[in-house]
Amino acid sequence: MQPENRMSMLDRFRMMRENRFGSFLPVLFALIAIWAYFGVTEPAFLSPRNFYNLFMQSAVVGTLAVGITIVLLLGDIDLAAAATAGASAALMAVLLVAGWPGPLACLAAMTFGATLGIAQGVMTAYVGIPSFVVTLAGLLGFQGLMLKILGVNGAINMRDPFVRGITTVTLSPTVSWILAIGSIAAFATLVLRRQALRRVRALELETQAALWGQILFFGGMIVAAVATLNLYKGVPLLVVLLILMTGALGWVTTSTPFGRSLFAVGGNPESARRVGMNVRHIRVAAFGIVGLIAAIGGIVGASRYASVSFNAFAGGPLLLEAIGAAVIGGTSLFGGRGSVWNAILGALVIGSLGNGLDLSGAAAADKLMFSGAILLLAVAIDAVSRAGGGSR
Amino acid sequence: MTSGQEKVGRSAPPPHLKVTGISKRFGGVEALRGVDFEVARGEIMALVGDNGAGKSTLMKVLAGAHRADEGQFTIDGKPVTITSPHDAGDHGIQIVYQDLALCENLDVAANLSLGAEPVRPGWRFLPRFLRPLDDLAMEEKAKAAIDRLQVRTLKSVRAKVGGLSGGQRQAIAIARAAGADSTVILLDEPTAALGVAQTRQVLDLVKRMRDTGHAIVYISHNLKDIFEVADRICVLRHGANVATWDTRSTTADEIVVAMTRGLETGATNAA
Repeated sequence: MQPENRMSMLDRFRMMRENRFGSFLPVLFALIAIWAYFGVTEPAFLSPRNFYNLFMQSAVVGTLAVGITIVLLLGDIDLAAAATAGASAALMAVLLVAGWPGPLACLAAMTFGATLGIAQGVMTAYVGIPSFVVTLAGLLGFQGLMLKILGVNGAINMRDPFVRGITTVTLSPTVSWILAIGSIAAFATLVLRRQALRRVRALELETQAALWGQILFFGGMIVAAVATLNLYKGVPLLVVLLILMTGALGWVTTSTPFGRSLFAVGGNPESARRVGMNVRHIRVAAFGIVGLIAAIGGIVGASRYASVSFNAFAGGPLLLEAIGAAVIGGTSLFGGRGSVWNAILGALVIGSLGNGLDLSGAAAADKLMFSGAILLLAVAIDAVSRAGGGSR
Repeated sequence: MTSGQEKVGRSAPPPHLKVTGISKRFGGVEALRGVDFEVARGEIMALVGDNGAGKSTLMKVLAGAHRADEGQFTIDGKPVTITSPHDAGDHGIQIVYQDLALCENLDVAANLSLGAEPVRPGWRFLPRFLRPLDDLAMEEKAKAAIDRLQVRTLKSVRAKVGGLSGGQRQAIAIARAAGADSTVILLDEPTAALGVAQTRQVLDLVKRMRDTGHAIVYISHNLKDIFEVADRICVLRHGANVATWDTRSTTADEIVVAMTRGLETGATNAA
């Protein structure tokens, strides 16, 4: 690597960002700064109860942000994600009212969401309409669809125990500690085994500091989260489900040929086409995944609000917060760079900000302006930390 | 050889890839009119001509990106059909375009395996595009390719391509072409955008590929580079052959005359 002589702070920061696990540093700093600030000004902010609420409040935005990240990687955008979530949730609600069992209704909603996504993908990839326009039409159209499905009242209450259970069930402390220790052990095994394989194959090795730093950081985060949540109601099932979903998508995007092709198309579509990737199929699949994840977000929302209402999903806030979360997480709007894990952290940043400002009794006007400033700041940090890195 | 000039094929090494009578029309424009071309293994064949002479069209026909209207392809004397980049790849023909087609957001190893990523054995229950990538194999493959071509300036195959110099990028694009079981490598203006030192790196790299038995077609406007690396020089003009020279027995002036005026007036003893 580079010689150590006289590196500025900025250079060090840039180097850290080049590291595989370094890309979430800015968003992590932002999160820590926000928590520190509100921790000092609002004593209630750092309470276990508030953390529980924070995770629950950020769940829908986080889910949508994870989905949107997939199309952002391609350099596309999905403005219809929130509307897709709403339409899917509405379908689920109507099916539940019609007497369908909960799991089946959820499955139907997810299929429906994926279908809406695929339809948008086909319009983008095969008809050649920019995704901004296709999904803008989707935003309007799917909101209409949602209203149509919900009927005249514009809201359906959610009493199904299965759906409600997604956000109301918490794990017992024993189960959550077993899960936590199991996942830390699995993570450490994977990291260490990889290092051993690298040594056997005579490849570049990670430094010992980076190796153990990763394990300690991951382990510390999990232990802290589980310990804090156990002081209140316990670890919500929802958090485990979201981590599983994000883990699966994170694995698909970084460790499979399909994921690699997402990054390749986002980085240089012509290059991807020349090496034989089917850019159209990839685009359609990506939009299908966003539709699916949006539907999951809709189900989570329905479960959390105990109802499916037009106002909860329509309009701007949910969609814009989800896109904001992805961007705060460091995912580029121009494609080729980003991570689904960062989207979760981005959602926590936005959630923490809203939560903290609510606690301090800030007016809606201040909340909006603060959110805008944080979004801008996050993107500015990202731009500064990358400047020069991409120049020839 | 006394005249210092020779037509394609005579007293040259036995060709690996040989095309004859290639014609290509775009609407009313005849881009190629019955062009013959050949290249042998362990040889660098330069392809030169003025703008619009048909160099790039011929290159794209060889790479399967354009389909020839007429003409025959043979590889090691056996007739083959090449109508798509896929066909060309199957016959070991790889092209490095001027724009390189690298993904700057990915690292060197990922770029070298792009589109043909190795996956871990097992996992048969998943479709191939969802099986886990074997990124360690990918790195090994990349290291081997980089070592084979002796790209010494590159420190790590895990560096992002976006942070590399123009010469290093060109080297990676060439290494990618040279890696995929290829025997023929087509290079389109590989030094056009490079400075002196980087041009040197790339020229050395091209020579090393000749030494490893590749057949190399080299398009360039830079006669100095061509005279340094090429074994033979094929001149095109107005979509047709002028002639092919042995580099050691011609001069830059002679090539320039052939490119701009052909053989009618300049060289009286045309073959």
